[in-house]
Amino acid sequence: MKVLLIDINKCNGCYNCQIACKDEHVGNDWSPIAKPQPDTGHFWMKVTDIVQGSVPKVRVRYMHDICQHCDDAPCIKACKSNAVYKREDGIVIIDPNKCTGNRNCVDACPYKTIYFNFDLNIAQKCTMCAHLLDEGWKEPRCVDACPTGALRFGEEEELKELIADAEILFPEYGARPRVYYKGLPNKYFVAGSVYDPDDDEVLEGATITLTNQQTGATSTIVTDLFGDFWFERQEPGVYQLKMEIDGYIPLIINDIEVTKDINVGDFELRKGR
Amino acid sequence: MQKKGNTVQTGTDKKTEKTVVKGLSFLGVNIDSNMVSVDVKDNKIIRIRPFHYDWKYDVEPWSIEARGKTFKAGTKALIPPFTLAYKNRVNSPNRVLYPLKRVDWDPNGERNPQNRGISKYERISWDEATDIIAAEIRRIIDKYGPTAILTQADGHAETKVVHAPHGCCCRLLDLLGGFTMQSRNPDSWEGWYWGAKHVWGNEPLGKAAYQSNIVPDMAEHTQMMLYPGCDPETTTWGWGGQTVSQLCYWFSELGIKQVYICPDLNYGAAVHADKWIPILPNTDAALYLGIAYYWIEKGTYDKEYVDTHVVGFDKFKAYVMGDEDGIPKTPKWASEKTGIPSRIIKALARAWASMPTSTAHANGGGLIRGPYATENARLEVCLLGMQGLGKPGRHMWSTIEWGMMGDETPPHKFGKSIPIPRRKRYPNLDPASRGPSLINPECPQIIPKDKFHQAILEHSAENPMTWYGTVHCRELTENQFVKYQYPEPGCSEIHMIWTDSPSLMTCWNDSNYIAKAFQSPKIEFILAQHPWLENDCLFADIILPVATKFELDDIGVDNLTAEFGAVFLDPKCVEPKGESLSDYEVVCAIAEKLGLLEELTQGKTVEDWIKVGFDASGIEDVISWDEFQEKGHYVIGHDPDWYKYEVALRSFAEDPENNPLTTPTGKLEFYSQRLAEHFPDDEERPPIPKWVEKGESHDERLSGDRAKKYPYLVVSNHPRWRVHSQHDDMQWLREIVTCKMIGPDGYAYQTIWINPKDAEKHGIRNGDVVEAFNERGSVLVGAYVTERIMPGVVSIDHGARYDPIVPGCLDRGGAINTITPRNTTSKNATGMVSQGFLVDIKRADLDALRREYPEAFSRPYDRGSGLMRERVIKD
Repeated sequence: MKVLLIDINKCNGCYNCQIACKDEHVGNDWSPIAKPQPDTGHFWMKVTDIVQGSVPKVRVRYMHDICQHCDDAPCIKACKSNAVYKREDGIVIIDPNKCTGNRNCVDACPYKTIYFNFDLNIAQKCTMCAHLLDEGWKEPRCVDACPTGALRFGEEEELKELIADAEILFPEYGARPRVYYKGLPNKYFVAGSVYDPDDDEVLEGATITLTNQQTGATSTIVTDLFGDFWFERQEPGVYQLKMEIDGYIPLIINDIEVTKDINVGDFELRKGR
Repeated sequence: MQKKGNTVQTGTDKKTEKTVVKGLSFLGVNIDSNMVSVDVKDNKIIRIRPFHYDWKYDVEPWSIEARGKTFKAGTKALIPPFTLAYKNRVNSPNRVLYPLKRVDWDPNGERNPQNRGISKYERISWDEATDIIAAEIRRIIDKYGPTAILTQADGHAETKVVHAPHGCCCRLLDLLGGFTMQSRNPDSWEGWYWGAKHVWGNEPLGKAAYQSNIVPDMAEHTQMMLYPGCDPETTTWGWGGQTVSQLCYWFSELGIKQVYICPDLNYGAAVHADKWIPILPNTDAALYLGIAYYWIEKGTYDKEYVDTHVVGFDKFKAYVMGDEDGIPKTPKWASEKTGIPSRIIKALARAWASMPTSTAHANGGGLIRGPYATENARLEVCLLGMQGLGKPGRHMWSTIEWGMMGDETPPHKFGKSIPIPRRKRYPNLDPASRGPSLINPECPQIIPKDKFHQAILEHSAENPMTWYGTVHCRELTENQFVKYQYPEPGCSEIHMIWTDSPSLMTCWNDSNYIAKAFQSPKIEFILAQHPWLENDCLFADIILPVATKFELDDIGVDNLTAEFGAVFLDPKCVEPKGESLSDYEVVCAIAEKLGLLEELTQGKTVEDWIKVGFDASGIEDVISWDEFQEKGHYVIGHDPDWYKYEVALRSFAEDPENNPLTTPTGKLEFYSQRLAEHFPDDEERPPIPKWVEKGESHDERLSGDRAKKYPYLVVSNHPRWRVHSQHDDMQWLREIVTCKMIGPDGYAYQTIWINPKDAEKHGIRNGDVVEAFNERGSVLVGAYVTERIMPGVVSIDHGARYDPIVPGCLDRGGAINTITPRNTTSKNATGMVSQGFLVDIKRADLDALRREYPEAFSRPYDRGSGLMRERVIKD
């Protein structure tokens, strides 16, 4: 059974995967696996820029949306024409010859990764390049084109260790995806800095404590040589931030709402006990 | 054919007729990279995919070890997206399919030069086209002499060898007595070339040209890497692929702190930065001076090194500390210029002084192409010198152009250019090239590319133009003291232009003024030959259709890719579109009409020239011609003794007396005696590098009066989704959010990055069409409102295709270079300025524009790839 692993931490955002898919499927007819993809507008492997934070604490993560090739695929159940099927290797295919264009699968997919081809009146999506795998290729085009190793494809057994700490997208849907993720943008950074306005200096070595006001969970880090702190991958919630360094009056900020990555700003600490 | 391990999908699958190996890079001049396998069937490109080096050869990738970790190069080419999507470019609806003549250009009557860029074109036959061209060449040479013909012997394009563009007509014109050459400036490294060379030599580029084995050294010793205006995830792509991205990830893994100093969160910073320090474009000189002040004040620079490796430190110090001009260049002073809080400048200065620090560059970026960029570059080298340049972990790393000049960068004794394990050999196919020879010292007259407009519009034999340097962007420093003139005595003014790399409008400086030069009645004939009907083609009188490299047989060499080198046959995949011919074949067709075909070809066919290339390549001793033809390519691995080569500048660092630099003193020249002697009164590039607020050449700072009217500084990087002017028609790239912004009118506008604070001030929302303008003109762009750009700065990548609403005034394509400064870097530095200049922005009133210019807004337009040829062809 095949799996795809998408490690967002390793993605440099080159979009090769999105483009390789188009290179393979636009203008090429791979029936019975897939008919040609329209010239533009379909993204069977879709990359989305997620810009996080605010100046000067900003990062970009590149989300990848692709058919999850679910083991309990809503699209298979929703199709009234029996056009959607699962192969022995786990890949879910919409048979372009059986599809009648009723779009039930498009509506049923909770991951919104099925597209409709108005010219051909069929639903279309990622095939994992099954037409190539069937000829001996070991990877779909998107994986072959990936320069960073952010995309890995193979037998579940072979990639077992790599996917052990990976996540699936929206487990609550119960669709049992065959696509795994690392670094999903579902936890957030809380970043900022501290400085001494009187000396006009950053404060390196300050102890910063971030406490989730609901759960009480606490993390502590020390500011770097720019006086910066970055708490990585925090759960959404309401937080307290405590900033301390010897010789300065501690500063506490309450009720920081973390619903996305956040640059809480540059904080002045004043000398005192 | 299946092979071991991870090497899949190399070989012919049963649905495809054949698989060929090609290079697909965009440097354009004989040296290729970005190797691909192309599957072809029935005159159709099925797919373009990364080449796997172990398809037909057993290959051994190089590896580097540092701090207990190993970096191992891969066995596939890490190609960029525009290589992968190149089918779009071959099949673009903007291809020129047959010869075209401007409808109101009559070589025997009225030429209507004023209508260039406005009037449409009609189809003519090859026979008619070559008759007209041959007659015009004869007429112009008879009337004015051969130097009346200007050739564009440079540019960026598909890399080809036998069929190379960039002045493919030069050899024919040589047979006719010569020509005037439009000479290339170092357009991506202006400040290094015109500035840093005066500090450290580093011939011929001025940036880190010698960088033998510094990547392993940095991996072991560097603790902080600075990326000033550097985007290792963009500019490296066009001619080196994506290996540098891998190295940046590895450096993070090794614990090297990666600090980006740039106005925008560029694509490297977006994924690699541990720290982003936003800086106002082109103010890096002030940052460096503030850091130098802090080091001198605290005594935290390498005094022993400075004593033994530097000349002129006392004068430099006097300027920095304010003894010379009464202005101490404190971090606070620097803060006001750069927009960086002074506490951050001090923290950066402390960090740099406390740990081995290197800087990285990738051409372009806010630091190197602005007014007075010489000073940014000189000061960076000075700072590297103050911390022991060449000692372990202390280097300047150029992330691009490895092997562009082979492995040698004479005349320097540290002349190895490759920062990673070098290869066994660096082949050379120049003997097969039918394009221009890069340096043509015989050329009787030149015009610098960045002064082209001024030459045409402002000068004549009675009022000649003069400037210093440069015949070519690889001249040695001495050339910067040579004074040139146009017209040269005995030479003609320009009356004909022959271009095969028509991209001045979207890549060069103040191109609205270039549009006016194209419309000058002095220019009697403009001939363009190009695969696509884009940019300067729109000003030509005759346009000839050229085949892409998928449509012809050639030979290629890859010296630029990090993983492996290769020589390959570069064969034809599909038939040429329409009536297109290769650049070389076009010149041959014209030569035939001039009776010079035999002399031009030397009796050789294209196949003969390919064989000439192979025979002189440098691999002919290790593989036979027959085997090479059968395999289609030859892979070159690394030199097993690579680690024995010196780390660049190490011997200079250790013993400067016996290992001098190529500067006159052999030392790092903080004070340049040469500049003092040649240009004693030049306050724009003085003997000591300085902060130049404004001068006779430029007034582009926020402190000036112009900033009241035009309050935003522009950063204009080398484009992420193009290579200069190339690839703007690729529909799969245009779907990417940072590439194009679809306006309410369905037109895909070039993005402008605007900070939310600035957008709010102007009532601009994400996706709005915006006018960016100054007194030089106006361009329409699409708002990308983002935290990736600092307030007060807007970012517009250069190279978007020119789509004039009013030629010379208003552009819909977003070709930002239409409104860049006209003057060169400074009065005696003949570099181009395309960064760090002032504009204002406002929401565009599309309805009003559409009413005023109905024709421009109703031209045929392809939703996927944009501009199409029909827009300029007469019904």
